[in-house]
This record gives sequence, C-alpha cells and structure tokens, in this order.
Amino acid sequence: MTAGTRTRLPGLVLVSPLLLILLFAFIAPALLMVPLSLREYVPGSGISANWTLANYTSIVTDEYFREVVVRTLVLGFGVTAICLLLGYPLAYFIAHSGPTMRLTLTMLVIFPMLLNLVVRSFGWIALLANRGLINNLLIDVGLIERPIRMMFNLFGLLVGMSHIFLPFMVLMLVPAIQAIPKDVQSAAYTLAASRLRVFWSITLPMSAPGILSGSILVFVLTISALVTPRMLGGPTYKVMATLIYDDFLQTLDWPAGAAMSFALTALTMLVIGVSSRLMKRWGGQA
Amino acid sequence: MNEERSRFGILGIAAFGVVAFLQIPVLVVVLAAFSKTAYLTIPPKGLTLHWFEVVLRDSEYLGAAWTSLWLATAATAAALVLGLLAAYAIHRRMVPFAASLTGLMMAPLILPSVVLGVALLQYYTLTGMRGNSVGLWLAHVVITVPYVVRACLSSLTAVDESLEDAARVLGADGFTSFRLVTLPLVKPGLVAGGLFAFITSLDNVPVSVFLLSASQTTLPVKIFTSVEQGVDPSVAAVSTLLIVATGVVLLLAERWTGFHKHV
Repeated sequence: MTAGTRTRLPGLVLVSPLLLILLFAFIAPALLMVPLSLREYVPGSGISANWTLANYTSIVTDEYFREVVVRTLVLGFGVTAICLLLGYPLAYFIAHSGPTMRLTLTMLVIFPMLLNLVVRSFGWIALLANRGLINNLLIDVGLIERPIRMMFNLFGLLVGMSHIFLPFMVLMLVPAIQAIPKDVQSAAYTLAASRLRVFWSITLPMSAPGILSGSILVFVLTISALVTPRMLGGPTYKVMATLIYDDFLQTLDWPAGAAMSFALTALTMLVIGVSSRLMKRWGGQA
Repeated sequence: MNEERSRFGILGIAAFGVVAFLQIPVLVVVLAAFSKTAYLTIPPKGLTLHWFEVVLRDSEYLGAAWTSLWLATAATAAALVLGLLAAYAIHRRMVPFAASLTGLMMAPLILPSVVLGVALLQYYTLTGMRGNSVGLWLAHVVITVPYVVRACLSSLTAVDESLEDAARVLGADGFTSFRLVTLPLVKPGLVAGGLFAFITSLDNVPVSVFLLSASQTTLPVKIFTSVEQGVDPSVAAVSTLLIVATGVVLLLAERWTGFHKHV
C-alpha cells in the first residue's frame, strides 16, 4: 500500500501540468460549445436566452446546409479516391526500390508535406486562377479564348486537396506494401500466375490495412480542412469547415456554427470508430 | 525479363509523374516570386528581386514572422517538457488509467482544428482572455503536444528500463538516473517530436485565426487573409523564403536524426 502511494504521487506530479492545460484549453472549451449550440440566434439582436434544437435540425432540413454537408462528403470521398489512385503506384515503386532511390523519393514526398499549408494552397491559386498559369498558357497557345473557371468550384478543391493530402497516403502505403513477404509473391510466380493476377490476388489484398488506414486519414483530414477550401473555394463555395468559419467570424451566428462543429466532429468520430472496428476484425483474421 | 523491365518502366514513369505533381505548386510559387508581372506566365516576362525587397522592408510581414517564430518556440518548448514528463509517467505506469490519459493527450489530433478554434474563441470571450497571447500560447501547446507525447512514448518503449534501475542501484537518485540514462536514449525521438510540434505551430491557421488580437498576426494567418484581398507577388516572395527555410531545416534534421524514420 505504501509502495503504491509512493509511486503514484510523483506520477501525478509529472502528469498534472499537462492535464491542467488540457482541462483548461481543450476539455472546458469543447464542453461549453454544447450549451452554445442549443441557444436560439435572432438575426440583428444576437444570441437569445431561449433554448432550441433548431440549430441541429436545420442541418438536416435546410436545403443549403444539406448541400454543404453533401458537398463536404463528396469532396472527402473524391480526394481519398484520387490520393489512392496516385499514391499507390508511387508507394509501390518506393517500396520496391533501392535504399538511395527510396530515401530520395521519400524526402521529395515529405518536403511538400512540411511546407506551410498556406503556401501550398497559394501555389494552386497561382496555377488555377482565371489569370493563373494554366489559363494564361492555354490562351497563349490558342487552345481557348476565355479563361476556364478552375477555382471556386469542386474541381479546384479536388485538385488542391488531393495534392495536399497525397503525402499522407503515400507514407501510410509504403510500410504496408513493404510488409508483404516477398516469398508469397515469388510462390505465385512459380505457380505461373501473371503479374496482374499476383497484384490483384496478393499484393492488393495484403496491403488492404494500409489502404484502409491511409484512406481514413485522408478522408478525415479532407472533411475537417479549413485553409485550402477557403483559399481555393473563396467565400462562396462552402464546405462544413468554411461554413463554421463564417458563422463565427462573419455572420456571428455562433449557435449554428457550434451545432455544425458538433456535426463535423461526429462525422470524423464515426469514420474513425467504424474503421478501427474494421481494422480489429481484420487483425483478428490475420 | 524484357517484359518485366518495361512494366517496371511504366510504373517508374507513373511514380516520377506523381512526385513531380507534388512539387509543381512549390516551383510555381518560387517562379512567381521572381516574376516582374503581377500574374504568372511561362516563360516569365522578366526576372526581378523587387518582391523580396518589398517583403523584407514590410514591417507587418516582419512582425508576423517574429510572432510566428516566438509562438512556435514557446509552444514547442512547453510541449516538449510537459509531453516528456507525462509520457514518462505513463510509460512507467506511475499513474492510473494510463490508456485513457494517452487517449486524452492524443485527442487534439482527432478534433477538427477549426472546431477547437471556435470553441476557444467562445471560451476566451467568456473568460475575458480574447486576444490574449497566453491564451494563444496555451492553444498551441494543446495542438502540438500530441506529436511530442507520441514520439516520446515510442522512443521510451525502445529503452531498457533495467538500465535506469542499474543507475539507481549504483546510487543515482530518480532524477539523475533519468537525466543521465533515459534522456540521452530518447533524444532522437524528442528531436523528431519537437520538430513536428514546431512545424505544426508554425503552420497553424484554423486555431490562430480565431484567437489573434486585432494588432497581432502570424505569418500564415497574414498570407491566408491577404489572399482574400487579391493575389500579390509579395505573397509569393514570403512563401519562397518559407520554402527555402523548410528545405534547409528538413535537410539538417535528416542529417542530424534520420528524420524520415520518425515520420
């Protein structure tokens, strides 16, 4: 008993400074959003003292809110699919190349990831804007007469966000592909399986855990991103995160923003929860 | 054999294509910074260093850069100390509910940053801390500490606990044995975690944008808000300076600790 208290006390001393900060600047603010999201907002006069569920119900009933939620999900699935399609060949190549090539390519994948997010998004603005690089090039060559709109729409957000989250996907896929025992593939070749057959029935299914965890990560990062959707989508083409941003800084409808925040958090929790269940089941089978 | 090589070639071309795609916006930003025209063309119509001069003389940019660096340094320092202490206590099972505690410390990674940002905005408004630098610093400690805790926990797993016990048997007290035995062994993880924390703080917009006072701004928030008023090549010049700084830091970190192994 005395031994227990003797080891517990310094333990609590070591943990408590961080715990106090998390309690003060993380848990308390998050909990205080609950009452805020249940307040009524009166345009013109602000947040009233009345309680209401309308902030939550309108996310489902209001056509505009529904459109924003659906758009956010479409973006999440689209970016995840693009990252998988572009990331898998690169990850496969990195996993099967020699040490020097592997290090060089890994550094080239990590570098844009470490670069300031605002800078990367700005790079896409310079490329995709009406007077951006791509439109100028196409006009100079004579392929088009007027600039093609590539920003403030789904296309711009898909391209920009796929670029930004691709490194995460590659970094999750490389170890998963490397972990596949070479013997299994060689055995299949010995049994006269074609390359395509080996890929479809061995490499792809055996890297499934990496594919799943990479996809979850990219999906969650995409639906909760604020900076890139705001910079490439502008104030008009909104997703859930940019809607929350405007609720709190522009329209000042804080209760609606708080409810939308919980909806976004619930979505990410749901995706993470379901996927970790899936992972456990797969882990049990292996 | 020939067939195999050609297929490898196609895969190689695809891989290099994707790597090139990853660098395109970076190259474009650098190109834009040296361009004489306000909008980009290929080839660029004339090269100039004018925009760098504009940026380096702009007191707003310099002030923002200074704020960013200070904030990132202070947040990383706090996250390193508090994160290492907490991770050590959790790893050596000195506290109950170790798994839940770890979960709590990692939770800021899962919560969308914009949600934490608006939650803190309301909270600091209620407690009268809106626009307060200490509040901003605490917020950055919260978002950077998961990286440090994660790096420390994984480094500590690799440390043989009996080494520290041996030091104690030889007469060292708890703190001395930690400082002389465990600390040097977890240093690479600490450096990697600290670097991630620093970059995360330096990169952050979704939390900072809600908490900054009217008179101060960080570099990414300044770029983020100035883009809404139209694209100006000086933004490209600032960005280029950041790109160069990031590249140098990445190379140094790689030589120092084999950074890519910790990503």
